[in-house]
Amino acid sequence: MTLGLGRLVCGSLIASAGLVGAVSACELKIGVPAVLSGPAAQWGIALRGATEFVAKETMEEKRLVINGVACTVSVKSIDSKYSAEGAASATSALAAEGIKVIIGPVGSPEVTGFKPVATRNRMVAMVNSFAKNSIGPEWPTVFHIGPGPSGWAAPIIDVGLQRYKFKTAAIVAPNDQGGTDIASVNADIFKQRGVTVTEEYYQRGTTNFAPIVTRIMASNAEALDLASSPAGDAGIIVKQIRQAGFTGPIFRLGGPGTDEIARVAGGLDILKDFLWYEPVYMDDNMRALEQKYEKLMGSVRPENSDFFRWTFAARMMIKAIQAAGTIDNAEKIAAAMRTLPVEDEHIGKGYWIGQKFFGINQEMSYPFAIGVIQGGVKQPLIRAEAVSEK
Amino acid sequence: MESFIATGLIGISLGTQYTLLALGFTLIFGILGVVNFAHGGFYVMGGYVAYYCNVILGLPYPFAVLMAMLSMAALGWLFEAFILERVIEDHQATLMVTMGFYLVMATAILMIFGAESPQFPFPVTGVWRLGGIYFPYANMIVLGACLAAIVFVYWLVYRTNIGRGMRAMSEDLPVASALGMRTKALFPFAFALATGLAGGTGALVTPILALAPHVGDSVLAFSFLTVILGGLGSVTGATCAAFIVGLIEAYAAVYLGGSKGALTLFALVLIILVVRPQGLLGREVRRS
Amino acid sequence: MNNRVPKSVPAEIRASLFSGHDWIALAIVSLTFVIPFTSTNPQVLSQTNLILIAATAALGVYIMQRLDLMSFAVPSFMAIGGYTVALLSMKLQLTDVFVLAAAAFLMPALCAIPLGALILRLKGVYFVLVTFVLTEIVQLLLFEAGPITGGSNGLVGMPAVKIFGMELWDNPHVLLTTCGLAFFSFIITSVFTRWFRSEFAAIETNDVLAESLGLAAWKYKAMAFSVAAGVSGLAGFALVNMLLTAHPSSFAPMSSVNYITYTIVGGKASILGTLIGALLLVSATDYFALSGEMSPGLFGLLIIVVTMVARGGVVGVVSGLLYRLAGQSPSLKNGDHDLGGNGEKGQ
Repeated sequence: MTLGLGRLVCGSLIASAGLVGAVSACELKIGVPAVLSGPAAQWGIALRGATEFVAKETMEEKRLVINGVACTVSVKSIDSKYSAEGAASATSALAAEGIKVIIGPVGSPEVTGFKPVATRNRMVAMVNSFAKNSIGPEWPTVFHIGPGPSGWAAPIIDVGLQRYKFKTAAIVAPNDQGGTDIASVNADIFKQRGVTVTEEYYQRGTTNFAPIVTRIMASNAEALDLASSPAGDAGIIVKQIRQAGFTGPIFRLGGPGTDEIARVAGGLDILKDFLWYEPVYMDDNMRALEQKYEKLMGSVRPENSDFFRWTFAARMMIKAIQAAGTIDNAEKIAAAMRTLPVEDEHIGKGYWIGQKFFGINQEMSYPFAIGVIQGGVKQPLIRAEAVSEK
Repeated sequence: MESFIATGLIGISLGTQYTLLALGFTLIFGILGVVNFAHGGFYVMGGYVAYYCNVILGLPYPFAVLMAMLSMAALGWLFEAFILERVIEDHQATLMVTMGFYLVMATAILMIFGAESPQFPFPVTGVWRLGGIYFPYANMIVLGACLAAIVFVYWLVYRTNIGRGMRAMSEDLPVASALGMRTKALFPFAFALATGLAGGTGALVTPILALAPHVGDSVLAFSFLTVILGGLGSVTGATCAAFIVGLIEAYAAVYLGGSKGALTLFALVLIILVVRPQGLLGREVRRS
Repeated sequence: MNNRVPKSVPAEIRASLFSGHDWIALAIVSLTFVIPFTSTNPQVLSQTNLILIAATAALGVYIMQRLDLMSFAVPSFMAIGGYTVALLSMKLQLTDVFVLAAAAFLMPALCAIPLGALILRLKGVYFVLVTFVLTEIVQLLLFEAGPITGGSNGLVGMPAVKIFGMELWDNPHVLLTTCGLAFFSFIITSVFTRWFRSEFAAIETNDVLAESLGLAAWKYKAMAFSVAAGVSGLAGFALVNMLLTAHPSSFAPMSSVNYITYTIVGGKASILGTLIGALLLVSATDYFALSGEMSPGLFGLLIIVVTMVARGGVVGVVSGLLYRLAGQSPSLKNGDHDLGGNGEKGQ
């Protein structure tokens, strides 16, 4: 009896020793500070969806193998509330769990609050935000998922100039960092193309844009750029400016949201002549990606098309972790990332850019698409090559 | 010159929207002494109810507006009778409770309908034009509805027994109760009337602008501003103030730009309040 | 016969300077000094930081509440304090924490004097609205004064503050700065409101009557407004220091609602209420953030429930319970405005 008990005890001791050895397996936790409430919620939902998809994909296909062990990947997302403190708070919570790898945040104020906390806690991150200082040499472990208007506004304006004639333009944006940074970048590019520009900033929270519209009409602008105005606001502006008799082309040189703008404005015929930035060119490859998402996650992909860019960013992060061979050393992961080519199985090849605009070459640039609605009829997307700074 | 007249028309449109919102707000404020932080919530929920009836269920638009008003009145009645009534003596507690309710409403809408704006068009499109001046037909209809609402509220408050009762309660609650007026019946009624108005406004205005879970956020600020500017407890004051605010906002935005225009508007409101602390048509308030 | 009212309340009536609640609050805040030295958990440090900043800002509301005035102006004075500090450290390379703290207190307090002269004659909801409009104006001014304030981008990349020449850069040190600022604010608030307890109580109950009895209400209101502004400025300093950025979105007008909520839910009778309210609600917000889209709704529910269940705020309910347990009648809550003796006497 005692002998049997002794054997049992020894056996379980040995077994638990083996278990301890197995428990030091590879568990990657990705932190996602995402805005999940308020007007910007759809962007955060797209971010979270993309990261969860890539996490599952990585595990199913054993894409992350370190020291011979296939890693498990889990995602922890926290509402960052589209504010600097919200993002700082969410990031600190993630840091408390020892999370070093971050995908997100989305908005300019969030990235502002995120960066000091990330630097203090030695994290590596893939961020969005179209702010002029979203990445920089002071934050060497922060990468950008894709260019803002500084990268893709010029080709879209060129397409517009080919199809329509205009010499003056008005840019409308909200009077916060998400608005002013982008509007000023767009203004510079318009001016480079020989178009005279006025910038109109509106108070965040405005719901009736009729006065702004009247002001724009009085300035005799021949084209309008909605910059990064939230889709709901942009839709009202389009609706009201067409009511006021504006017949020129309208640009949306900001983030995605054309479908919502069309819904609010009242249809494609109201949009009439409209050009916008699409993060990806929808071809069979993209549809294959959508189908993969549906198969893996059991539901349709998040509606906001920034989902694609986040997917590429998260995959890039996994590749960098694989190349660095560590799941928690931010500097090593960042160093590995810089050496990797910008390349993804679904969208193809791209470039690292950013040296000219940010002072650090850590922005991923992939091919994108230009959307055009002409005369109220949706035209096929125009495929655009990845922006490079060469 | 055309621009000047066009701006004036816009100011009037804005004024009608603010009046509709301010009427409900000032009723609750004047009679119950409650600052209804949830006012914007009833506005946006009314919009969604109308959207659901009109677009999803396919019912005619006027019916959808009516449904919005009735459902919001019912919700307001329930909220007042079961939650607000318990804390009604404490003004700050009512502020907390209504604010909490607003957060619950906004979140519920977000969870049910999603964050993106649905398509909710106004049934009448088309714009009246004369040279460079324009006035969409939809705005005209809303203006008509606003005038009807003003007439209705006036009639109710000044020409009916219920209105007399509400006014009595707002003047001197203990005496009114002593004279037999039942606050338990009149308070929920007043609240329901106000929230019904807010819901109806949402149903009318969101198709002209946009419908999304967050459009109620700025409603509170402007309603509050208009009611105070007009003077506490004064329906006439609220109406006048609403149109004044609408016109100032329109002219300031058109001639100074959106940001500077808002600054001008707030600075002017500040000055008016400093110079005339009881608001334009308010009575001198001698309580601390 | 001497009809004149004595200029100050006689010493016997003043009784003790701090009430029991005040001591508890000060003790809790001083205990937070231990945290930077014993913990390196970023979440603990960050949460404590946010709670202390929230509590300090809410003190700005609390002080005005003592005069029965609800102020929405806290974010605007936080902005003045925060931006002053950012400008001094970035443009003039002044990084000594004591100098910056003095500036963060004095600048808003000085601005409050002319503003107070303008708006303090308003009462009740009129005062509420005017302070709300003030905060909106400050936000817009921050945007318009781009060249100085950095416009909508704010002032980014503040240098670390120094104490006696030593840099306070790390997570724990940033919290240490906030602890110091919070403690200082609580002391100031406590001393200020307790010293003028009687006068404030008189004004809170009926300022017209108080004036007719010879009390110069405007003087006390102006002082309170200035001190509230100064304390808010210190909160602004702490926030800007934590984020290393002075950003307009940190001082949004709607955040004033948060600070008011902390004070009222916690219990507006004492500074302990403000502290408890901030502790409870900031933690709740953080906890709810894990629920993503539902977080504002959950927070709203919490507020409704707490308000309906806990009259007098959380502190009021707890101290009422304690009184009942101790067998005394919970007539006058400790820390409330008692004009004589100790709290056991009835109204």
